[in-house]
Amino acid sequence: MKWVLIGVLIIVIMIIAYSVSEQYKDKFDFYSNLKSFLNQFKINLAFKQDKITEFLNKIECKRQFKIFIEAYKEYLNSDTLNLEKIKVLDEGEKAQLTSIVKDIGKHDARNELNQLEGFLLEIEEKLIKAKEDKEKICPMIIKLSLLFAIGLAILLI
Amino acid sequence: MLKDYLPRDIYNLIIKNFSFNDITEIRMRANENIIIVEKNKKFYLKNENGDFVKANTLMLENFINKATDNSIYAYNNNIIDGYITLPKGIRVGICGTIVADNERIITVKDYQAVNIRIPHFIKNCSLQAYDSIVSDEVKNTLIISPPGSGKTTFIRDLVYQMYVHNIAKNILIADERNEICSVVNGEAYANLGGFCDIYTNCSKKFAFKNGIRSMRPDVIVTDEIDLERDLEYIIEAINSGVNVIATIHAKDINQIKKKTNFDRILNEKYFNRFVVLSSDEGPGTLNNIYDEKLNCIYCR
Repeated sequence: MKWVLIGVLIIVIMIIAYSVSEQYKDKFDFYSNLKSFLNQFKINLAFKQDKITEFLNKIECKRQFKIFIEAYKEYLNSDTLNLEKIKVLDEGEKAQLTSIVKDIGKHDARNELNQLEGFLLEIEEKLIKAKEDKEKICPMIIKLSLLFAIGLAILLI
Repeated sequence: MLKDYLPRDIYNLIIKNFSFNDITEIRMRANENIIIVEKNKKFYLKNENGDFVKANTLMLENFINKATDNSIYAYNNNIIDGYITLPKGIRVGICGTIVADNERIITVKDYQAVNIRIPHFIKNCSLQAYDSIVSDEVKNTLIISPPGSGKTTFIRDLVYQMYVHNIAKNILIADERNEICSVVNGEAYANLGGFCDIYTNCSKKFAFKNGIRSMRPDVIVTDEIDLERDLEYIIEAINSGVNVIATIHAKDINQIKKKTNFDRILNEKYFNRFVVLSSDEGPGTLNNIYDEKLNCIYCR
C-alpha cells in the first residue's frame, strides 16, 4: 500500500510539473503561430487581399491560438476584443496584442505591409524569449520536480 | 443592411423617422448635420429632443472601417477612386485628404464626408424606350442625363428587358464603378437576367479590349463614358460589329453637343439613338429619343 501511495505521489508531482512546463510550450507555440499568422497575412496583402474575416476563416489552429482567432472574429462583430481566455499571456502582452489587432486593416496595402514588418519585429523578440524559456525552464521544472518527488519518496520510505 | 455599418443610435433614428424604402441618400459630413434624402427631398436628421444630429470624424472613420470589413487595404483601389460598394448595391462616396506619392494617389485619410447612396430598382422604367433601342437589332445608344437622373437604373432595366424579350444576345457589362450590377463576392445584386457577363471595377479600356476577345459579346453596356478618354475603344468595338449602349453626363442634347468628340460621333454615325432622361417626374423620366441625325423621334 505504501509503495502504491508513493507511486501515486510521484505521478501527481510529475503531472503538475508537466502542466506547468506546458504553459511555456504553449506560449512558444502561441508566438510562433502569431508570427506565422502575420507572415501569411503579409502574403495575403501582397496577392489575394482577402478581407480579414475571409482570411481568419481560412486559418487553422489549435489550443491558445484558436482562442485568439475566435476572439479576433468576435471583435470584428462587436468592437470588443476579449483576450481573457488566453492564459499564456500576461497583461502587458495582451495589451500589445490588442494594439496589433486594432491596427490591422486600417491602412492601404503598402502601409499595412510596413506596419506588419514592425509587428513582426516585436513578435520575433517575444518568440525568442518564449523559446529561451521553453528550452531552459521546461527541462528544469521537470528535473526539479523529479528530484523533489524522489526526495519525498525517500523521506516517506 | 446599413444596421451593420451605421452607429446604432443613428440607424435607429433613421428607421424611426423615415421610410427606408424611400431613402435614396444619407449624407454625413464631419461636424455638420446628417442629411437624409427621401423621395428626392432633403431632411436633417433630428434626435428625440428635436435637435439636429451631427456627424463627426470618428463616426465617419468607424463607418468606413465597418463598411470595408476592417480591411481598408482590400478596398483601397475603390477608395482612391472615391467610393466603395456595399452589399445590395449600396454605394458609399468618400471624401477626405488625398495621400499621394508624387502624382500617384496612395489612399484617402481623415475622412471628411460620406455619401451613402441606396439604389432603387425601377422595374420596366426602360420599356417606353425599349422598341426604339432594340427592334430588329440592338442599336448603338447613348443615354444622356445629369447625375442622379436614373441613367444607371435605366440601363440596368434595359439589360433586364433584353433578357425578358429573349433577344438571345451575349451582353458584356463593363461596370467600371460597380454601379450597374453591384457585384459583391462574385454575385450581382441587380437582377440583370441570364445573358450578362460582367467586368467589375476595371477600366473601360480593359473591358472593351479583353471582353471582345474573350467573351464574344454582341452588346457591350457601360456607364458614364468620357468621350475624350473612351471613344477609341467604343469605336473599335462598334467597328468590330459589337453594339454599344453607354451613358453619359449631360443635361440635354444641346449640352452634349458641346462635348469634345461629339461632332465626330454624329458625323461618323457611331450611335443610332440618343436617349435623354431627367428627374422631372422622378429619376428615369424619359424626355426625348433622337435618331442618328438628331431628329427627335420621341418627345415628352
